[in-house]
Amino acid sequence: MIKIQALSKSYGQMMAADDINFNVEAGEIFGLLGPNGAGKSTTINCISGLLKPSLGEVSINQHSVLSEPIHAKASLGLVPQDLALYEDLSGMENLNFWGQAYGLSGDHLKQRIETVLDQVGLTTRAKDLVNTYSGGMKRRLNFACAILHEPKALLLDEPTVGVDPQSREHLLSAVEQLKSQGTAVLYTTHYMEEAERLCDRIAIIDHGKIIATGTVNDLRSEMGEKDLITLTGDFSQADQSVIEGFELIEWKDHTVRFMAEDAAGKLSDILSRFEPGQIKQTAVQQANLESLFIKLTGRELRD
Amino acid sequence: MKFNHMPMTVAGLRVKRVIREKWGFIQWLAIPIIIVFLMSLIAGTGSGKLTGRLLITDHDDSTISQFLTGSFSQGPLAEMFTVKQVTEAEGTEIMDAGDASAWITINQGFGDAFLNNETTQLTLVKNPAQTILPQMVETSMKLLVDAASYMQIIFEKELAVLQPMLANQKFNDTELVILTLGIKQQIERLEETMFPPQLTLIKQLVESPDEEKQNITFGLLMFPGAIFMALIFSANSLAVSIWDDASNGVIPRLSSTPAALGAYINGQVLAAGLIFALISIVLGCIGGWYFALPMGQLPVLLLWLVFSGLVIYMLFVTISLLMPSSKVANITVNATTFPLLMVGGSFFPMESMPPWLAAVGQFLPNGFLLKGLKDWLVRQEPMADAMLIPLILGAVMLLLLWILNRYLIKQLIQKV
Repeated sequence: MIKIQALSKSYGQMMAADDINFNVEAGEIFGLLGPNGAGKSTTINCISGLLKPSLGEVSINQHSVLSEPIHAKASLGLVPQDLALYEDLSGMENLNFWGQAYGLSGDHLKQRIETVLDQVGLTTRAKDLVNTYSGGMKRRLNFACAILHEPKALLLDEPTVGVDPQSREHLLSAVEQLKSQGTAVLYTTHYMEEAERLCDRIAIIDHGKIIATGTVNDLRSEMGEKDLITLTGDFSQADQSVIEGFELIEWKDHTVRFMAEDAAGKLSDILSRFEPGQIKQTAVQQANLESLFIKLTGRELRD
Repeated sequence: MKFNHMPMTVAGLRVKRVIREKWGFIQWLAIPIIIVFLMSLIAGTGSGKLTGRLLITDHDDSTISQFLTGSFSQGPLAEMFTVKQVTEAEGTEIMDAGDASAWITINQGFGDAFLNNETTQLTLVKNPAQTILPQMVETSMKLLVDAASYMQIIFEKELAVLQPMLANQKFNDTELVILTLGIKQQIERLEETMFPPQLTLIKQLVESPDEEKQNITFGLLMFPGAIFMALIFSANSLAVSIWDDASNGVIPRLSSTPAALGAYINGQVLAAGLIFALISIVLGCIGGWYFALPMGQLPVLLLWLVFSGLVIYMLFVTISLLMPSSKVANITVNATTFPLLMVGGSFFPMESMPPWLAAVGQFLPNGFLLKGLKDWLVRQEPMADAMLIPLILGAVMLLLLWILNRYLIKQLIQKV
């Protein structure tokens, strides 16, 4: 449904997206994970037509975004990272406007507005001005505007940032419902638990490049049975040889990261290799997407 | 999918938001009305005529003194002054309060002294807070004194006959007839030497100018400029609001929908036209009623104002979207607005500007459109005379609309 082939976008010498390739099938949720500035929004903007790719091809429902933009966009819904609403209009008026922007009108539009309001739990507040909504309600309305026209492909750019648990649950359930209805969803997030709950497949992106792709289980297995150990302290005088036998991920003056099987059992051995007082904090993380991300990029998702 | 209605949807939404945010709209209407009102007050009521209050204390109460005081209640002086007879105490109180332009005191015995060709004195107190009106009273007094001196010389004999009559209040018909004839003969004799006929009078009927042409007041001169002021304020605000729609994500998101961004821009232009029409109807009706303009002029007035508003709006939108950020756009549009208002004849009528500045103002788009409107509305000149440049401006407006649709609105997305 969403097909990205050799997509690149450069700004002068800087490659914001570099040879990105992936497909999202109907009824699939595809997660795009990466820290800020990794190239997620650039990729989303190229897919939605906000940016023109420097190279490559993007197609939605078999229509090229570049050569058949109207047909491609008609099959696409976008939930932007920042709210895109008229705050001095009511929720209903916003939905009416965005529905018309997607070519809906008359009774069909009215019926769709009622449906999506129910879907995101805003029916009782539909006639209130958006500037009286909570942050979570605005996020839900922002989402509702994108699904009015029942798009075949949906792009969600960090839709749950700053959202209360109730609104988050509403949104995640709505995304799952869309998946069950056959919508292809491209989902970017910082939250690992969301990605693990929702996504059928995940691509990890950093510095504009996709560095790993697969199902959640595929990616977990890349970590094997190893845990991630993070030590915080003063390691400016220490020698890297102290962690010989472990898989070093990162060595900085104040942070050391490495992988180890059965980290909990080996912790006392590891700590004894350092000078007393050198380690201020120790963290052991079991194999998950977060630890995989750190293994692959050397930095955390929220960096 | 049909998107033909999108510009109407966008326009409807904009108009709804403007009206819902009512204080901004009220401000666009109220500021020009307040400015015209204040400027009219500063210029001395809306009639364009100076009026002052003249106090007279007549201790003499003679025929001659009454002749003097009566001269301020007749002819052109009567249009400039309201004459009030006061006692010494009243005069002092009113002048101390600054509520009169000047105060003339006629001493007792003034009439007798005049008839006896004796020296006498008039007292004039001027209000130092005023300049023009007290000066006019003083000049008028000097002219009257000069005229009285010549009368004493020319009509010496006749005044000598008149004096006992006035003193005794006994008038003999025969003596009065002789006196009147004597004055008449004296005037006829003087006419031959002082006013020899130089020109031959040919009587010809000339069409009297229209009432409206004669009655151009300061307020009427300000009125079209005031509506332009409202249009410029609203055009400024509407133009900058496009940046708000871009900053709050509406325009970028709109570009991901099948509806073209051009529909958004065309909708904004349509909304601007509707808002200008609303402003023009409200202010046009207020002004039309106040200045008693013929109702037949209102439709043309409305069309001209909406067109003018759109020209200014397109100029502001283009300038605004050429800027790199919302902040710079705001500053630049404001920096453009105030010279247009000042020099283009909205704050001050071009008629009150130095000629060189008025000439500059007439070359500004709003200045030219305002001049054309005034020539037609105030001076009753044919509208057709002023149609060439609006046609050119209309073509420029269409070009700007094309540039906005084709380039600037797309570039705006990259700037936010």
